[in-house]
Amino acid sequence: MSVVPNHHPAQYTLLRHAAGTLQPARSLVVATHLPFCPECQASIRLGEGLGGALLSELSPAEMAQDALTRTLARLDMPASVMASSAETVALAAGVPLPASLQGLVRPIWRWLAPGISRIVVDVASGSDREQAYLLRVAPGKSLPDHGHHGWEATCVLAGSFADTTGEYGPGDVAETDVSVMHQPVAGPGEACICLIAWEGRLRMRGLFARLLQPLLGV
Amino acid sequence: MHADIRHVACSPSGDPARPGSRMSLDPRPARKSSDATEDVALILAIAGPRDRAAFVALFHRYAPRLKSWFQRSGSAPEQAEDLAQETMLAVWRKADSFDPSRAGAATWIFTIARNQRIDAVRRMPRRSLDADDPSLAPQAPVAPDAVFDTAQREIRLREALSTLPAEQADVVRLSFFEDRPHADIERVLGVPLGTVKSRLRLAMNRLRTHLGDYGPPSRDGERS
Repeated sequence: MSVVPNHHPAQYTLLRHAAGTLQPARSLVVATHLPFCPECQASIRLGEGLGGALLSELSPAEMAQDALTRTLARLDMPASVMASSAETVALAAGVPLPASLQGLVRPIWRWLAPGISRIVVDVASGSDREQAYLLRVAPGKSLPDHGHHGWEATCVLAGSFADTTGEYGPGDVAETDVSVMHQPVAGPGEACICLIAWEGRLRMRGLFARLLQPLLGV
Repeated sequence: MHADIRHVACSPSGDPARPGSRMSLDPRPARKSSDATEDVALILAIAGPRDRAAFVALFHRYAPRLKSWFQRSGSAPEQAEDLAQETMLAVWRKADSFDPSRAGAATWIFTIARNQRIDAVRRMPRRSLDADDPSLAPQAPVAPDAVFDTAQREIRLREALSTLPAEQADVVRLSFFEDRPHADIERVLGVPLGTVKSRLRLAMNRLRTHLGDYGPPSRDGERS
């Protein structure tokens, strides 16, 4: 984590993450970026401060008459504790599973296409419009040329990739909206491992890509 | 404008929230610096001695605003009532992880409310925000200066928010209260997405410049 990322989520994305109003799969990408980036952590603190300020300025709503009594009666009841696994899981040598994805994946790579493996991430959004995967792409391999009917957000965990919008290394985030068509290519040397999330169906260009579409499940 | 919310927080005449309506926040902050410092003291009294009287005071100050916030965020009144109570219960349970050098009282309570709402909306317990959750901050000795500084920072942030140009303040507020994809915020404001994003970036930079302690105001690498 010594290298500071060059590509960050938009301020708008960060604020909605802090507000709790960002799409769940997109929030996962932001949460995965944050440990890499003190600057964006500061943005989140600012956003949470704004949340506190807005909360303070709201007009009070009327609580139920027994609200306080009922809450006081529950103070001494034991809280249900969520089990948390302390074991460290690795995605590859030297690449630990990000804390943001703990409990959301079974960290077993599945073959998807030559040079490309994936792990499905449980977005837990209650909506099937959003999806998230961990992708591992062999050095120099390219993903299908594709575009989006919705947004796409990616955070690199190891290695790098490049597309028409730039080069992305560990901690970097790439966000695209509907208009962008791109064909990401993994950098040389080591496999590119990234978290990728998107909403809606992909638009594939080229025969190979369209053949791959059923495999991708998109 | 009420000078002191302690006299009005439990008043049965509180305005009901109007979900979906334009924000009608008061131009001047309702609460004073001393309130922010007192809120911190109340949470610390809950954390250490498990002081129920402190909890009752904090409940009166925050539960009605939390209910209002949940309603503005799209919850029906009954659900907003439940979530406000759940949030206050979580405040009681998590009080010993409150670190006043890191976040002010309102900010900390906001993060708990935000997480309660996300948990309620999604089918599974949320984890994505936990790594940055101020409520998970390790417990450390509390320096009185830190409490004062944090309270001051909350006050300055409220003042800075009130000085934003209306079009920037609108985007900030809609980011919190309109739980919709941003295409819909464009529609609410009648401007393109790029404009929404650039207004928000201007707002954040202005706040950073004004406050000085939330990182540098400019940034590269953001595509919009």
